[in-house]
Amino acid sequence: MSRGAYLLDLGLVPYGEAFELQRSLAGAVSQGAIPETVIFLEHPPVVTVGRRTETGELHIPDGAEVEIVETDRGGKSTFHGPGQLVCYPILDLTKHGKDVKLYVRNLEEALVRTLAAFDLDGELVEGLTGVWMTRPPRKIASIGVHVSRWVTTHGYALNVDLDPSPFTQWITACGLEDAAFTTMARELGRPITVEEVRTSAIAAIAELFDLELEELPADEGAGLWSQPIHASLAAR
Amino acid sequence: MNEKLEAAARLYEEAAKELDLAARHCEVAAQHFRDNLVPRGAAHAWAARGHLLEVEARLDEQAREHSRRSSV
Repeated sequence: MSRGAYLLDLGLVPYGEAFELQRSLAGAVSQGAIPETVIFLEHPPVVTVGRRTETGELHIPDGAEVEIVETDRGGKSTFHGPGQLVCYPILDLTKHGKDVKLYVRNLEEALVRTLAAFDLDGELVEGLTGVWMTRPPRKIASIGVHVSRWVTTHGYALNVDLDPSPFTQWITACGLEDAAFTTMARELGRPITVEEVRTSAIAAIAELFDLELEELPADEGAGLWSQPIHASLAAR
Repeated sequence: MNEKLEAAARLYEEAAKELDLAARHCEVAAQHFRDNLVPRGAAHAWAARGHLLEVEARLDEQAREHSRRSSV
């Protein structure tokens, strides 16, 4: 049976704010204060540096309008910008098999299914993370996760419609020399919006993690959802 | 310093950090609600709640420990 979970569509959010938010929401999920929560958003241009980033991966030209942020996720450096759909699931893995590798495989499968909804054949490449279009290989989505007390933060970034040149010109993204990066727009040969893709992305996450996602309305009803905290308050 | 007192000091320092984080999330939530950014405001409000519960759990544990040792 599907479990209820919150779905937050936050729009364009600076990386630092989203980072703090994830860590704190993970604490709330861990405490049982709120249900598991899946965040979808976009970031203003930012290069993020993971725990395994090596010196020399960054070659950002002077004057480039981009923020550089260190994170606690796994993986190497990557780029985020508007036109990229970012998904941060805050999940309690004790409810999903207590298996980090399985969790990452499910994220990859969610991306493959999201791409399939647009007749794009995303594939996994042996020894490499993320999801790729192949022949020749070109990366279309990146994955980087962090797990603390079995609660997940970070997630995936799917290139929907943005200029992919920062992945190679500003950084050696994911530590991959000579790797090519692509976008859904480039593969489809037409413009496509993040909004168009989000519905399929939400459906894939819900299916893979057996969640019934409930979206907080953007205009009214702030905080009016039934929350575990309400029951505990009522019991006092 | 007595080890137990040092542990208690550390616990209260960590509680203060959690409360600082909760306060920051409350401020950001207020700004987002004022800007009509409801999901972002709500997300920060829930984040604040998480920090408060974390503090409450730690202070409750400290209180229970104190109660166990109290001779009064």
